[in-house]
This record gives sequence, structure tokens and C-alpha cells, in this order.
Amino acid sequence: MSQSTTNTAGETPYSTNSTAERAELSTIDASIRTAALFFVISAIGWLMIGTVLALLAAFKAHEPNFASTYEFLTFGRVRSAHLNAMALGWGNNIIFAVGLWIMARLCRSPINHKGLLLIAGIFWNVGLTVGIFGILRGDITSVEWLEIPHYATPLLALSYALIGVWGVMAFRFRKGDHVYVSQWYILAAIFWFPWLYIVAQIMIIWFPARGVVQSVTNWWFAHNVLGLWLTPMALATAYYLIPKVLGRPIYSYYLSVLGFWSLAIFYNWAGVHHLIGGPIPVWLISAGIVASVMMVVPVVVVGINHHMSVVGLHREVWRSPTLRFVVFGAISYTMVSLIGSAMALRTVNQVTHFTHFTVGHAHHGVYAFFTMIMFGGVYYMMPRLLKREWPSAGLIKLHFWACAIGITIMVVALQVGGWIQGMEMNNAEIPFLQTVQNTIPWLKARSVSGIFLTVGHVAFAVNFFWMLFAAGAVRAKQGPTLLAEVKEGGVA
Amino acid sequence: MDAESYTDLMPIIFLGVAFFTVAISMLYWSAKRGQLRDFDKQAKTIFTEEEPEGELSDSFPAKPKKKKGRDKLKFESQ
Repeated sequence: MSQSTTNTAGETPYSTNSTAERAELSTIDASIRTAALFFVISAIGWLMIGTVLALLAAFKAHEPNFASTYEFLTFGRVRSAHLNAMALGWGNNIIFAVGLWIMARLCRSPINHKGLLLIAGIFWNVGLTVGIFGILRGDITSVEWLEIPHYATPLLALSYALIGVWGVMAFRFRKGDHVYVSQWYILAAIFWFPWLYIVAQIMIIWFPARGVVQSVTNWWFAHNVLGLWLTPMALATAYYLIPKVLGRPIYSYYLSVLGFWSLAIFYNWAGVHHLIGGPIPVWLISAGIVASVMMVVPVVVVGINHHMSVVGLHREVWRSPTLRFVVFGAISYTMVSLIGSAMALRTVNQVTHFTHFTVGHAHHGVYAFFTMIMFGGVYYMMPRLLKREWPSAGLIKLHFWACAIGITIMVVALQVGGWIQGMEMNNAEIPFLQTVQNTIPWLKARSVSGIFLTVGHVAFAVNFFWMLFAAGAVRAKQGPTLLAEVKEGGVA
Repeated sequence: MDAESYTDLMPIIFLGVAFFTVAISMLYWSAKRGQLRDFDKQAKTIFTEEEPEGELSDSFPAKPKKKKGRDKLKFESQ
């Protein structure tokens, strides 16, 4: 299946002193440069759009009359447009950029037919634009995480299939037999996402199943988008960047493989815990709860592995823009996953269900974990694609601190406020309206956190486009990659 | 839910079983192809001549100039 290039002396392109073979990484980076740039620019565009929509939705949660003049600015539409802009706009575009780049590097396989990849990317973003406009104009479906109207989804599915093929082709024509753990995560996610999306579209939108089966399918899909798409892509990035930046192999490769396979086997069952208390068979919910608790295995394994890989090198982690974000994301993964397993327990779920606790949990996972790791991936990838240095260390620090403080405020506010809300809702002596009014201070705190996050995103966008157009950017000398020699300042 | 309505859940159950089966099959394939052996060597396959083991490959821009342009790590595992 694979093409081995190991020579008679047992050398590989990774160990040889041959300049031609060593230049392989640069060739691979160059092969994906245009497509990756397109995806990163698109991702940042959606990040900014999603941020504006998020601010609108956050303010409207405690100021219902805010921007309520127009139908397209009502909470239901703005909130769903925000979710899809962030998940499918920011999330998928940045995955296509960073994930495919890492896959190509690990497979030592340049991306061929770049033009078609670019066209597929354009189709994805056109389809998503149509979908977001559809949501805002009122064509929204009533299914959470699948709100995009049916006329936009075929284009999304088709363009994704074209993009996913590139990842598969890179793996198919990889050099060497070994499959690094990041490749396992990326390859699996490339197959998992279309499976989830197409099955959910068919069973809920195109040929709806009867009754509660739709709900089961809905949460099977929605929870697995996080666990079998965003999570593996972020973990693949972390498993590549932590050892790569530190120059130290991952603490235990055995644990990393164990973590991947336990995720692959257990996560698929966990989504049903969103329907605890719902009118579906109890055994099905119990299976979901068991799987959710079993997720402690891969989470602890990944947590130990990441922690032990950076032990003794905390100063180096702090000095690296990439690892500041990646390690923040890795720590968040451990926390959010353990909290998620606890939330699946019936007694805990009786309090957290239908409260802001769940909203806080979702942002903990998608932002504090996934997005922060992807920010780190962009900080490592871009200097190697452009052979330029990031122009401003100050903007990187502003980006990190604004996002770290912002998401911490949001998660704490929504989870503490959500827990209180749940306790009050379970108390029959407290009027429901009172429980709603008591959430307002926590919702205002979320709006404050949104301002922090906006500042961080603006700093990130300014630094990125400044670097892209090279105004004042420090250029590296010519060489296989930026890392080999740097004119001045730090390395990339 | 009526007992006979449980058949409505069959597509979901089938998908779950299929998903589980594919995962187990891939695990078997990886074991047969030797992916689960010699972990120490496999963990080092991400390092290259350009981005080698034992050297820090990322730091903030505009730092004070280093002697050789790269930071050397000082930990004993190398």
C-alpha cells in the first residue's frame, strides 16, 4: 500500500544528510501553500463574522430589545448563524488548512492537483455563505447543529468529499510504513465527519425517520461533531506540535495509541446522554452514559501524555507562541472532558440539563480546547508556508491573554450560573421567572467575556494580514524551511 | 414508547454496530501491519534534519539575537 523510500543504508528522508531529500519538507510546504492560505483567510473571515454574531446573541440574552428591529436579527437566527459560522466556517476551514498540512508533512507526500483542492474550498465557503444567509432570512431548520437549510447542504457535502479525498490520497501515497498517531486521528476524522453529516442529513432532513429517532440521530450527530471531528483534529495537532516544538518525543507513544483507539471505540456511543430523561429506551441512554464515563480512559491517557511531555520544559513552552495556545488547549481538553463525563451521570444531569451549564461546557470544548490548539497550529504553520516571521510579538501576547481570560470568564460564568439555575429550577418553591432573572448577572459576564475574545480575534487577524502582506515583517533567509536559519530575532 | 416502535431505532443501532466494527477492523489491521510495535522509534519519526530532535523550533519573534540562530535545549533525554 505504501511506498517506502528507505535506502540500503537504512536512511529515510528524515535521517539522511542529502540536501535533496532534506528539502522534501519545503516541497511539501510549498505544495499546500496556496490552498492552506485560502483556508486560513476564509477561517479568519468566518471567525470575525461568527464573533459579531456571538456578541449580538450574547447581548440579546440579557437585553432582549437590543437590535430587535429586524427579523434577521432575532435571537434564534443570530445564535444559529453564529454556531454554524464558527463550527463550519472557522472550524472546518482551519482544519482543512492545519490538518491537511500536518497530514502532508507526516506522509512526506506533496499535495497534487492543488487547483481542484482550491475549487473545492471555494465551493465549501460558497455553500456555507448561502447556508448562513438562509438561516438569517428565516429558512433555518429546527434541528440543532443542522440549522443550515436543505438547499445549501448538497454543495457542502460535495465540496467536503472533494477536500477529504486529498487527505486520503496523501495517506494512500505516503512514504514509509509507519503511521504516526496524528495521522491516525486525521485519517479517522476525515472518514467520520462525512459519515456523521450525510447520515444525519438523510435521517433528519431528506428522509426523516419517525419520532424520537430524529432526536437520537440529532444528538448522535451533534455530539460526535465535537468528539469525532473537532477533537481528533485538535489532538492530532497537539500530538504533532508539542514534541515538534520542544524537540522531545512524546512521553509515551504507547499511551497515545491507546488514547486514539479508546476514543475511536467509545466516543461514538456517548451522544445519547443529551437525551437523559427523554422518551427513548432507558437502555440506550444507559449505553450512552457508560460510554461517556469510559471516555475517562482516553482523556486521562492524553492528559498524562501531554503533561509528561512538557515536564521540565515549562519555560520553553511559555516562550513558544505555538505552545502557549496548544498547552492551554490541551489542559482544557482534560478539564472539559472530565466535566463532560460527570455531566452524563443522571444525578448531575438532573441539575445541568436545560441550563447555561451546557452552553458553558460547549464553549469550553469548542473554544478553550479546539480553537486554542488551532490558533497554535496557525502560529507554527504560517512562518513555514510564507517563510516570514510573525511581525508582532505584542499582538500574539494580546491575542493569547485576551482569549485566555475571555474564555475563562465565559466558562466560569456560564457553569457557575448554570449550576445555580439548575438547582433553582429543581426547587418547586422558586417561580420559574425568578430563576430566569437570576441568570442575568451571569449572562452579562458572558457578554464581557465576548468583548475580551473580540479583542483577541482582532489582534490575531491584524497580525495575520500584516504578515501576509509582509509590511515590516522579518524575512528569513533562503533555506529549506524557516527554521534552518533566521536573519534576526527568534526562530519561527 | 411501544414495544413495536423499538424497530424505529434499528438504523441507529445498526450504525453504532457498524461504527464499532470498523474501528475494531482498523485496530486489527494496524496490529497486523506492525503499527503497535517499537513505540520509542515510532515516536521520533516526526523529527527531521531541518527540525531535529533536541532543538526548540518555536519562540516569539524579535527576541534578542542568539549565537547560532537556534535555541539549544538542555535536558538529559538527548
